[in-house]
Amino acid sequence: MHEKMLRRDCTLQLGRKRLSENFLKGGATMHVKKYLLKGLHRLQKGPGYTYKELLVWYCDNTNTHGPKRIICEGPKKKAMWFLLTLLFAALVCWQWGIFIRTYLSWEVSVSLSVGFKTMDFPAVTICNASPFQYSKVRHLLKDLDELMDAVLERILAPEPSHANATEALNFTIWNHTPLVLIDEQNPHKPVVLDLFGDNHNSSASSSPAPGRTCDAQGCKVAMRLCSLNGTVCTFRNFTSATQAVMEWYVLQATNIFSQVPRQELVAMSYPGEQLILACLFGAEPCSHRNFTSIFHPDYGNCHIFNWGMTEKALPSSNPGAEFGLKLILDIGQEDYVPFLTSTAGARLLLHEQRSYPFIKEEGIYAMSGTETSIGVLVDRLERKGEPYSRCTKNGSDVPIPNLYSDHNTTYSIQACIHSCFQDHMIRNCSCGHYLYPLPRGEKYCNNQDFPDWAYCYSDLRINVAQRETCINLCKESCNDTQYKMTISMAEWPSEASEDWILHVLSQERDQSTNITLSRKGIVKLNIYFQEFNYRTIEESAANNIVWLLSNLGGQFGFWMGGSVLCLIEFGEIIIDFVWITVIKLVAFSKSLQRRRAQAHYASPPPTVAELVEAHTNFGFQPDVISHSPTTGTYPDEQPVPIPGTPPPNYDSLRLQPLDVVESDNEGDAI
Amino acid sequence: MAPGEKIKAKIKKNLPVTGPQAPTIKELMRWYCLNTNTHGCRRIVVSRGRLRRLLWILFTLTAVALIFWQCALLVISFYTVSVSIKIHFQKLDFPAVTICNINPYKYSAVRDLLADLEQETRGALKTLYGFSEIKSRKRRDAESWSSVWEGTRPKFLNLVPLLAFKEGEMGKARDFLTGRKRKVSGSIIRKESDVMNVHESKEVVGFQLCSNDTSNCAVYTFSSGVNAIQEWYKLHYMNIMAQVSLEKKINMSYSAEELLVTCFFDGVSCDARNFTLFHHPMYGNCYTFNNRQNETILSTSMGGSEYGLQVILHINEEEYNPFLVSSTGAKVIIHRQDEYPFVEDVGTEIETAMATSIGMHLDGKQRWNLLLPPNGLQTALTSYTESFKLSEPYSQCTEDGSDVPVENIYKAAYSLKICLHSCFQTKMVEKCGCAQYSQPLPPAANYCNYQQHPNWMYCYYQLHQAFVREELGCQSVCREACSFKEWTLTTSLAQWPSEVSEKWLLSVLTWDQGLQIKKKLNKTDLAKLLIFYKDLNQRSIMENPANSIEMLLSNFGGQLGLWMSCSIVCIIEIVEVFFIDSLSIIARQQWQKAKQWWAQRQAPPCPEAPPSPQGQDNPVLDIDDDLPTFTSALHLPPAPGTQVPGTPPPKYNTLRLERAFSNQLTDTQVPAEF
Repeated sequence: MHEKMLRRDCTLQLGRKRLSENFLKGGATMHVKKYLLKGLHRLQKGPGYTYKELLVWYCDNTNTHGPKRIICEGPKKKAMWFLLTLLFAALVCWQWGIFIRTYLSWEVSVSLSVGFKTMDFPAVTICNASPFQYSKVRHLLKDLDELMDAVLERILAPEPSHANATEALNFTIWNHTPLVLIDEQNPHKPVVLDLFGDNHNSSASSSPAPGRTCDAQGCKVAMRLCSLNGTVCTFRNFTSATQAVMEWYVLQATNIFSQVPRQELVAMSYPGEQLILACLFGAEPCSHRNFTSIFHPDYGNCHIFNWGMTEKALPSSNPGAEFGLKLILDIGQEDYVPFLTSTAGARLLLHEQRSYPFIKEEGIYAMSGTETSIGVLVDRLERKGEPYSRCTKNGSDVPIPNLYSDHNTTYSIQACIHSCFQDHMIRNCSCGHYLYPLPRGEKYCNNQDFPDWAYCYSDLRINVAQRETCINLCKESCNDTQYKMTISMAEWPSEASEDWILHVLSQERDQSTNITLSRKGIVKLNIYFQEFNYRTIEESAANNIVWLLSNLGGQFGFWMGGSVLCLIEFGEIIIDFVWITVIKLVAFSKSLQRRRAQAHYASPPPTVAELVEAHTNFGFQPDVISHSPTTGTYPDEQPVPIPGTPPPNYDSLRLQPLDVVESDNEGDAI
Repeated sequence: MAPGEKIKAKIKKNLPVTGPQAPTIKELMRWYCLNTNTHGCRRIVVSRGRLRRLLWILFTLTAVALIFWQCALLVISFYTVSVSIKIHFQKLDFPAVTICNINPYKYSAVRDLLADLEQETRGALKTLYGFSEIKSRKRRDAESWSSVWEGTRPKFLNLVPLLAFKEGEMGKARDFLTGRKRKVSGSIIRKESDVMNVHESKEVVGFQLCSNDTSNCAVYTFSSGVNAIQEWYKLHYMNIMAQVSLEKKINMSYSAEELLVTCFFDGVSCDARNFTLFHHPMYGNCYTFNNRQNETILSTSMGGSEYGLQVILHINEEEYNPFLVSSTGAKVIIHRQDEYPFVEDVGTEIETAMATSIGMHLDGKQRWNLLLPPNGLQTALTSYTESFKLSEPYSQCTEDGSDVPVENIYKAAYSLKICLHSCFQTKMVEKCGCAQYSQPLPPAANYCNYQQHPNWMYCYYQLHQAFVREELGCQSVCREACSFKEWTLTTSLAQWPSEVSEKWLLSVLTWDQGLQIKKKLNKTDLAKLLIFYKDLNQRSIMENPANSIEMLLSNFGGQLGLWMSCSIVCIIEIVEVFFIDSLSIIARQQWQKAKQWWAQRQAPPCPEAPPSPQGQDNPVLDIDDDLPTFTSALHLPPAPGTQVPGTPPPKYNTLRLERAFSNQLTDTQVPAEF
């Protein structure tokens, strides 16, 4: 800016000098220069030549409502209007600030719609609560089960007579993470009792007859977790023996199963044709072939109906149980792994097509011997994403690799959190947990290869900080679908129909005439859309740019009757202001120079003409130049002031001919 | 006359004075129309021809009407709310979970207190339905049925007799106690609905409640004897229990160790110490998990049943009261930490020999009064809500109940239910002189019992009827709370323990219970409960004001600008011109008339005295003198040439000041042209 001003300054001076030179030389170049100069002047020329003029002109001609009134009435009103205008301008600025801030906060408004429409039937995942058939995994769990029986015996009836039975036990599993009894009868000095303390050497102090005097009140069962070759040990306490033995068993079973290849595990679990006895979708019969099988570490083989991975998703266009999915399942309760699961039933989850079923977290149970009817309402939420809400469209901007992408499933926050946990597990314990998928090149934890893993895992599992980092790293996905279920149950099959239903089902499954099924093992499921099957919540930007502009306009209009053009006007005036300042500064510096130059002469006082010249704005003479080319003689050139000149034609004095409509200067003034 | 004055006079002559100093209203209007910033008025004055002028008048008026209409609509729609839904995936606070056994007290402990009542109930059953032995499925110590029946005179049946009515002869009833028929007076109130037509010929069972002097009686009848006897039993039961001290009642009920066999939360073991006792009059000892015992609320950072609360409950069916409760199980209420668990009204009942898994979703709702928008206007808006407190502009809700004229007798945060119950209890104390047993005691009141308040039952039933019919005014006084948390529950059941795991599980659980139970547990004595967050999504629904005050103003501005290019300045103008100026003109005219009239009266002999010209009378006109516009110019010396002799013709740029005004001058002359 400053530079620019300076440059203009230079051109001004230059122009002036050249002009004088041209006068001497004369010729065609003079006209061009003159024209240029004129243009320059026109550019410089604002509506006035002093600040006051400018202001008055602005107030009079602006389109905003307030300023006009400032100048047209008496002093009191003038002051009032001046204050009012200032106040309104301040108000406008304030409100604009609010609006712009509101706009930048990226708020959303939601629209909600409820109704019925033809929709894709949800994907239905069905698992058995027990992951494996006991008859098929017995050989793997044999040692563990024997040990478990012995443990239970020890806890419940600590009689030494059973000691001989323990001889045959495989203590390699036991020694790794043993269960201990902690005698807290003396709260200040708890005694740790090993359950099989008398049979083998153990690091803890053991009394000869453990548990003899122990019951639930005095003793607590705890799990000893050791790392670094048994040098660092912690006890994981439980308030009840039930939990302790179950946790212990699950930990050991995990260790065993993690060493078995996936294909064998799949073969040991419940196959689709055994689990699904009957299937009907709407009026169409379906079978286990319509289900996609995946292996879930907790629940074994899970079967997904209508996953939409290979073929198109099935739509359902009618509400009511008749048009939904009807299933009869056989959970085979008698073949459950006794210590692994204590709950019997089918596990069930409704989820979106192409999404991974997190059945442990979100699934529900269906009880055997009952008919469970599930009315579904699809609760869908669609969000706008950044910058409106913190969510991710497809998970590509989340810093954690999705381990569940093997199945080609979509991103979900559960997948992210589980992947994050596995990530931490591998980093801390250098092996992957059996319950979560493995990243490439890693191995599942087991006692042989990673002796410290149980210690490490139980440490990580109760670590709250770890979970919070995962939660902070993972973003929820923008499109979220929940299936709201209305669950009701009735006894099935009824007493009267039980006989024939079981007969038919047995015949179909085993081709036997006898009943091979029992009501303890069969589950009936009806899944259907409710009368209103969707509720969609959709986000839209609450404040868009149109909203912002119209509100800015509204505010400006309301307080001052202004528009964008008024702003431009104002900007113009500011430019003029700057321009006047520049001109004044130039004149001032010029006069300073002159004064300094004159100081050398010292003797004659400055003439009036010189004074006048000092105050004259050199930039502006050409106003009259067109009328009288002779005035091209510049004050610089003027040799000596001529005394007795005719009275000056001061512009201001032209007031007198006011009664005649004055128009000659009009064009220049504006 | 000085030359300056001359010029001034000249200018004055040429310059039509049509400012707000105009002498007449008409002039003023004309001036206003020409100079106003609004668009329509000017065209009215400027248009030539009557039709055109009329059209412009019509247009302007229409625009004004439209502005008024639209602005009214804006004001009406100002107090609407918009709903926004926020979703967070975060660590969630686990709710408080209150678990109660459905049976309030161990029957063996309360037996002594209820012995008489039990006998009489049995007796009534015998006379009414003619059976003598109750086969209890589980009760071992089933006493002989009609042992002491003939002994002392029954007091309960005397107080409130159970009656059987024959359909058709409503005035007559058969008393169970005496077997005699007796006349029943008083209104008969049926508990059954009028719409249902139940068993026409059957006997109807009910009981009679009388006020003090027994002249005023009401008979309550039930379509089924089950309901009648239960209601009747409950009345007496409440009466008896009201006289028992709280400590004794807590001792008679279940202890936490008895109720909870195992407990597991967020992967960590917990036990009875994590539960706080809460005594409910009708449900006995209830235990609340995560009730902010040491000022920390537990939270879960993972979804799924593994990370929630898992408890195994011991429900001892042998200790059940056969007349008070007819179902077995436990009741679970999931609520906010500061909320009162209304065990009898809400809650999920869980069954024995089952695993009940309750998946939760958190739905938070907050109304506008509580929540201010996150932008910078908070303080301003706060003051608005506070100033609107009386009218509650957005909704009829209350933040903490302090503005509801009902005293909160519960030691818990305000809710609509608390308000209704408190209101009823207060009315009860007012009308009947004692408090109802199933609700907390207001200060300085006692629970109702026969000894002190013989006719409280009649009073209670009357009051309850009135309450249900909204005659007590509680429903209109109480308002809903502005924010509440709600958990959407998905409950599913599964068989537990499974057949193959039953054997070992039951024996280990028995060991866990240890000394408390000598015998082996049965699976129907146990219930497993899992409460967990399905995922950690929290959806909070918030109500925000759809319009803020600045939005309203900007909408006003938009309307004004669209129809008339008007702003607040125009409105001030209108006020100025139409009220201040025109009033002052009218006042001036009146003053002048009065003066004239006075002068005429004072000096009737010289009526020819010429009235002074109006224009000069105008005192405001004098202001003209110090108008900067012209005077500054006019006061210039008349003969400038003499003062600066011999100067060259200077081109004072500064003196072009008046240019701006010459411009204005031409403008003001415009009206003079037509």
